[in-house]
Amino acid sequence: MATTTDAGVEALNRLKEIDPPSLLAPNPALSQTARTASQYLFSSLRPFSQKSPLDQLLVDGYDAEQIWHQIDIQSQPLLSTLRRRLKQLVNNPEEISKLKAPSDVANKAEPKNNQDEWEEEESDGFDEELDEGDEDVDEDEEGVEKEEGKGEEEGNEDEDEEDEESAEEDEEEKGEGVGIEDKFFKINELNAFLKKEEVDKGEQDSEDDDMLDEAGDFEMEEDDDDEDEEEEELEEEEEEEEEEEEEEEGKEKTRYDDLSGDKVKKNKTPSTHEKQLEKLQSKIAQMEKANVEPKTWTMQGEVTAAKRPTNSALEVDLDFEHNVRPTPVITEEVTASLEDMIQKRIIEGIFNDVQRAPKLPSKAPREVKELDDNKSKQGLAELYEQEYVQKIDPTSAPLSFKDELKNEASMLFKRLCLKLDALSHFNFAPKPVIEDMSFQTNVPALAMEEIAPVAVSDAAMLAPEEVFDGKGDVKEETELTQAERKRRRANKKRKFKAEEVKRSEKKAPVNAVSSQVNG
Amino acid sequence: MQSNQESSSMEVDVATSEQKVLPPKPKFEPLKPHEMSSGQVQFRKVSVPPHRYTPLKKAWMDIYTPVYEQMKVDLRMNLKARKVELKTRHDTPDISNLQKCADFVHAFMLGFDVIDAIALLRLDELYVESFEIKDVKTLRGDHLSRAIGRLSGKGGKTKFAIENASKTRIVIADTKIHILGSFANIKIARDSLCYLIMGSPAGKVYSKLRAVSARLAERF
Repeated sequence: MATTTDAGVEALNRLKEIDPPSLLAPNPALSQTARTASQYLFSSLRPFSQKSPLDQLLVDGYDAEQIWHQIDIQSQPLLSTLRRRLKQLVNNPEEISKLKAPSDVANKAEPKNNQDEWEEEESDGFDEELDEGDEDVDEDEEGVEKEEGKGEEEGNEDEDEEDEESAEEDEEEKGEGVGIEDKFFKINELNAFLKKEEVDKGEQDSEDDDMLDEAGDFEMEEDDDDEDEEEEELEEEEEEEEEEEEEEEGKEKTRYDDLSGDKVKKNKTPSTHEKQLEKLQSKIAQMEKANVEPKTWTMQGEVTAAKRPTNSALEVDLDFEHNVRPTPVITEEVTASLEDMIQKRIIEGIFNDVQRAPKLPSKAPREVKELDDNKSKQGLAELYEQEYVQKIDPTSAPLSFKDELKNEASMLFKRLCLKLDALSHFNFAPKPVIEDMSFQTNVPALAMEEIAPVAVSDAAMLAPEEVFDGKGDVKEETELTQAERKRRRANKKRKFKAEEVKRSEKKAPVNAVSSQVNG
Repeated sequence: MQSNQESSSMEVDVATSEQKVLPPKPKFEPLKPHEMSSGQVQFRKVSVPPHRYTPLKKAWMDIYTPVYEQMKVDLRMNLKARKVELKTRHDTPDISNLQKCADFVHAFMLGFDVIDAIALLRLDELYVESFEIKDVKTLRGDHLSRAIGRLSGKGGKTKFAIENASKTRIVIADTKIHILGSFANIKIARDSLCYLIMGSPAGKVYSKLRAVSARLAERF
């Protein structure tokens, strides 16, 4: 037993000395050391845990999980007994003084207990090396950056735990540093503890932990100083361990006592689920409260200046609809691009000039009659005569009002054009056709046309049907048949006779009248 | 008896058989002016204003010849009474000739030229319209003078412009205005002159005239 104890202590010491980063990489030597230490702690706690089925921690060839489970089997009932004991002590403070007779067994058991728990933590750490290693470091030091060390796997609860632990550790270390005298110290500690209890009822977990730790302290303080260091560490570890285990117990409790309500929860550290639920509920409460309250002025619809606090619009980022395109920022690139475009255009000669749409000569340009300011040379009679003649006989219409010089010039030019066209022999392009209303007379075309074609034609201007106004089949004398000739002669005779009758009638009444007059 | 016969003639069946043969309707030639008013001679007298005395003297032959030769109307100047007298001859074909000649002489007296007035002889439907400035707008003193000036224009060009555009002849005698021409043309000239009297500038009247004359010309 002593050898094993020594080996165990040695192992613990070694573990204590290692630096945490080395824990990150799986190390078989370190593993062996840890296992030995765990075994030692387990066996030291064995006397206190009567119900546990295991006599010894079996580590050879076992998985970390399995080792942990063994430890768990031992520690669960142990914790419950400790809790019960603590409650008793809480209810009957006088008993604390009675406790002062320290049993070496108890003392040894405690450190062993502590060591065991510490070892359990170590085994835990092999599953979650980061966490435990950091925890150890924190505990060794005064716990500065626990959040970083803590793994996300364990969640926020552990952070809380560690915070609590740090506070507790500080307290404990302070407390331990003050005095060694038992009763005096105990009373002081007790008083402090009681005050704390009165102030923070919400943190009964931590208080319980404190109590547990202090109970441990009470028992241990009478011991040698040699063990002080260890005890510190062990106590700290114990706290953690206990907290963890309490946590587990708390979980169990919530499992069984869900219906009992918040009170039960508050008694212990709330489990992860409970904490989540709490958070949710607080969020819900918050949101409901916000909904019930009147909205901020930014959330209301149309808000006049009177309805909002002064100068509040200055503080808020207001969103405006800008219907105007933002003015382009003229940077060097923009100018360069523009200049490039200009140069390119100039080189290619593509300009966006506005070109006048060509106006087609759609209708005949009206002859603009210019007003003659001078006294007309023709008399009024001649004027009307001309008008009359124009009405009757369109061809002999005189040229419209133009200067004679102009007329002469136009005639000369036309003659010239004709000659030039004649040079090209039928290949002249006629003037663009402009619809012009004019009277066509049945005059030989040659006489009318100003530009005589090279080939002289006898064609008349009017078409035959326009000339001839008769109906039916017109035949010449030679073409007629006998019957037709006869018919023609008969018609002629008839007409002649009719005229004769008319003439005779005309003469007859005149004669009759004259005869009457005379008579 | 005839009425009875006429009433009976309404009935077609009976009329043809019972009707008497009526004499043919008389046909009379139109009366010569000489025969009118039971053979008395027709007269017209046109007074001569003093300012037309000398022009009449100058243009007498131009007036006399067409009247006597073509219209076959006798013409003479009564110096004492300062009137021109016209008389039908026995061979005057138509009574309207006398009236036409009288109108012709009267137009000359108003101030028109002989060559312009001759148109009255040649064309049937020429008229002379006269009106005064005060008929259009009451103007006094300077305004009146300015209106007259506006009507004539510089060197008479406005007047000539109107004459040429509307195929009329205009005489502006102080406040009296005479227009010679056909009915529609007189209207055009009169409207233009009225605008001028009422004060519109010549340019505006010109543009109107242009439009009107273009429309007139298009008709043919």
